[in-house]
Amino acid sequence: MFGRLRAQRQSDTPARSSLPHRNLLRAGECALQERMQNRPSGLGNPWLQLGLSIACVFVSELLLKRGATEVAEPENAFSWTGVNGLASALVWWAILLIIASFISWLYVLRYVPLSVAYPLSRVVDVLVPLGCWFFLGEHISALRWCGIALVVIGLALVAKPIAKMEERL
Amino acid sequence: MSFLAFFFIVVSLVTFVGAQLILKRAMEFSAKNGMSDPYFISRVVIGVILMTISFFLTLGLLQRFDLSYLYPFQGLSVIFITILAAAALKEKLSARLAMGALLITAGIVLVSMS
Repeated sequence: MFGRLRAQRQSDTPARSSLPHRNLLRAGECALQERMQNRPSGLGNPWLQLGLSIACVFVSELLLKRGATEVAEPENAFSWTGVNGLASALVWWAILLIIASFISWLYVLRYVPLSVAYPLSRVVDVLVPLGCWFFLGEHISALRWCGIALVVIGLALVAKPIAKMEERL
Repeated sequence: MSFLAFFFIVVSLVTFVGAQLILKRAMEFSAKNGMSDPYFISRVVIGVILMTISFFLTLGLLQRFDLSYLYPFQGLSVIFITILAAAALKEKLSARLAMGALLITAGIVLVSMS
């Protein structure tokens, strides 16, 4: 996948020099923007990969909590390391999902600034309680709804400039 | 909360934040220099090791505390990563982005408090 991308980037090189507002001080940022403008579409779309990464984290969190509870030995000091969690099959499924999310996350980092991608990835903190409410019929208190609302507003603040930028592209 | 629990929470947070910064820098580097460079490989290995430490410490904590209790600390990572990305990686941090990160952290803390 990465090899194909590299080839694509190289083929896009002639377009680079025509980009306006080149500035040495912000060369790193410009390079990132160029990469973003020349980003692959379809499965290689960084935003799609970010979504996939978030979905994997969402499922793995639930699996981890269930798996860790299944094999919990709080009286055992060694279990502070968490390694005894490997006795649970659910933990292994979660690890697979985490590896998948990690690979797509690395891919996202290639195109998106960390200070944008990481806050966006925390949409999972809204999805987990909402998932428990929607699928498991758990109760959500007024305070918790307020917290969810705050996260959504914060996400909107982070995401809106990106949406504008995407429109321009 | 015992001192031991606090210690492990802090260590799992620090290793996680450190790993994200190192991995971001490695991916930036790979875009210019390819993926077979020893510098890139060593950084990814360090990042993966740090994330693994953080993962197992979290698993140990999950056996003792509710997910909802541990979540606010994960929420703090949003603030730390946003600030450190601006400081260490020279990413542009607008007031809007900082505000968004702050709201997300506050929201995560509220969600797990209730």
